[in-house]
Amino acid sequence: MITVKRLSKSFGDHEVLKNISIQVERQEVVCIIGPSGSGKSTLLRCLNLMETPTSGDVWVEGENLLDPRTDINKFRRKMGMVFQQFNLFPHMTALENITLAPTKLNRKSKTESGILARELLKKVGLTDKADAYPRSLSGGQQQRVAIARALAMEPHVMLFDEPTSALDPEMVGEVLQVMRQLAKEGMTMIIVTHEMGFAREVADRVIFMDNGMVVEEGKPGEMFVSPQNERTKLFLSKVL
Amino acid sequence: MEFWGVMSDALPTLLKGLSYTVLIALASLVLATIIGLFAGLMRISGNVILRSVAAAYINLIRGTPLLIQILFIYFGLPTVFHVNFSPLAAGIFAVSINIGAYLAEVFRAGIESIDRGQMEAGRSLGFSYAVAMRLIILPQAVRRMTPAFINQFIIGIKDTSMLSVIGVAELTMEGQSIYAMNFKSFEILTLVGLMYFIINYALTVASRWVEKKVAVS
Ligand SMILES: Nc1ncnc2c1ncn2[C@@H]1O[C@H](COP(=O)(O)OP(=O)(O)OP(=O)(O)O)[C@@H](O)[C@H]1O
Ligand SMILES: [Mg+2]
Repeated sequence: MITVKRLSKSFGDHEVLKNISIQVERQEVVCIIGPSGSGKSTLLRCLNLMETPTSGDVWVEGENLLDPRTDINKFRRKMGMVFQQFNLFPHMTALENITLAPTKLNRKSKTESGILARELLKKVGLTDKADAYPRSLSGGQQQRVAIARALAMEPHVMLFDEPTSALDPEMVGEVLQVMRQLAKEGMTMIIVTHEMGFAREVADRVIFMDNGMVVEEGKPGEMFVSPQNERTKLFLSKVL
Repeated sequence: MEFWGVMSDALPTLLKGLSYTVLIALASLVLATIIGLFAGLMRISGNVILRSVAAAYINLIRGTPLLIQILFIYFGLPTVFHVNFSPLAAGIFAVSINIGAYLAEVFRAGIESIDRGQMEAGRSLGFSYAVAMRLIILPQAVRRMTPAFINQFIIGIKDTSMLSVIGVAELTMEGQSIYAMNFKSFEILTLVGLMYFIINYALTVASRWVEKKVAVS
């Protein structure tokens, strides 16, 4: 479903991603792990062109995103993204946050997208928070609204960039629970995370990145139990 | 007793001048907001040419006195371009362009004060830059800008008094024409000043109130 070929990305002289090739199948859940600064976020952001790769190709559902003829705004509607800092729109209620994109981009009526939004709020366990503004919600609740907002465009794939890293420990569980549920329903997901327990439990495949390169990838059972590469071993010995 | 007589004789004319002043100020503010929005957006655009044009405009206006700008538009431009403005049109034009440059900086600062993540979230949902700006960034920026905006409006109202030099019949001009006839410059200028003060003070109070509301939310 997603194919990345020989992708490189530099910020000025600093080469952050070096010749990366990965593949993600439909309904697959892939977790990307690795030390801070290894390029995980940058790779994720290259997948929906929030960053423009310096070279290489990104194919999504058979289309080349870097082809100038590709309408990237249309493409992003199929790719939901969830951020570490939630990035909810503070001047809108939870419901308005969720309905904004469907009404303005999919031309759904207010009623239609309102119904959809309430279903999504129910799914993330926030039925009673439809009219709440982000500032009155806890971090965990905000992140769940952010997930609902991304789901409202009915994306084919969801990208998560450390969705629980900005949360107080007691709120991590509720967000992971929502993601676990999504995975069960067959959503294709690419998740940058430091939650090794979650990766081990939910991922179909784990990708370990270090210093801008994919060092090792494999099934979580194999990777967490018997990593092959020295750098993977070192990293896992520190975080597990 | 004579003081009050002078005042009440002058009042109808001064109120007419005042209504002109308010009209010019409102028209200029609307135009200046449009100019300021576009110049502010150009100022932060990725395009070097747009950015430079906006920067040149802003610096030019901020670096020259309004009085010169008014004289230039009313007396200077017609000699070269053979366009003739009425004093009123030239006045509104000059004040709009002037306030527009200051509002451009207000818009720029307002937009830049919004967290980058807001634009990213909008773009990630599939909104274009322009639509995300309109639906997500500007509504937040405008709230924060309101006090600075009202402040510029107050400056604009006071600045319209300079239009008397090109014969626009606004408040200051009407005041001058009255004391030119009755020589009661003390009384008339007191009244004129008071009228500016009342309007601007009301706006200052409004601005403080808005500032408080914004701080709470
Ligand atoms: N916009 C940018 N401009 C310049 N350098 C950047 C930019 N974004 C990221 N970098 C650099 O690229 C490198 C990789 O960053 P990235 O955010 O992808 O790492 P990461 O693996 O997500 O780290 P973390 O776990 O801390 O989130 C870092 O050295 C970072 O400083
Ligand atoms: Mg990161």
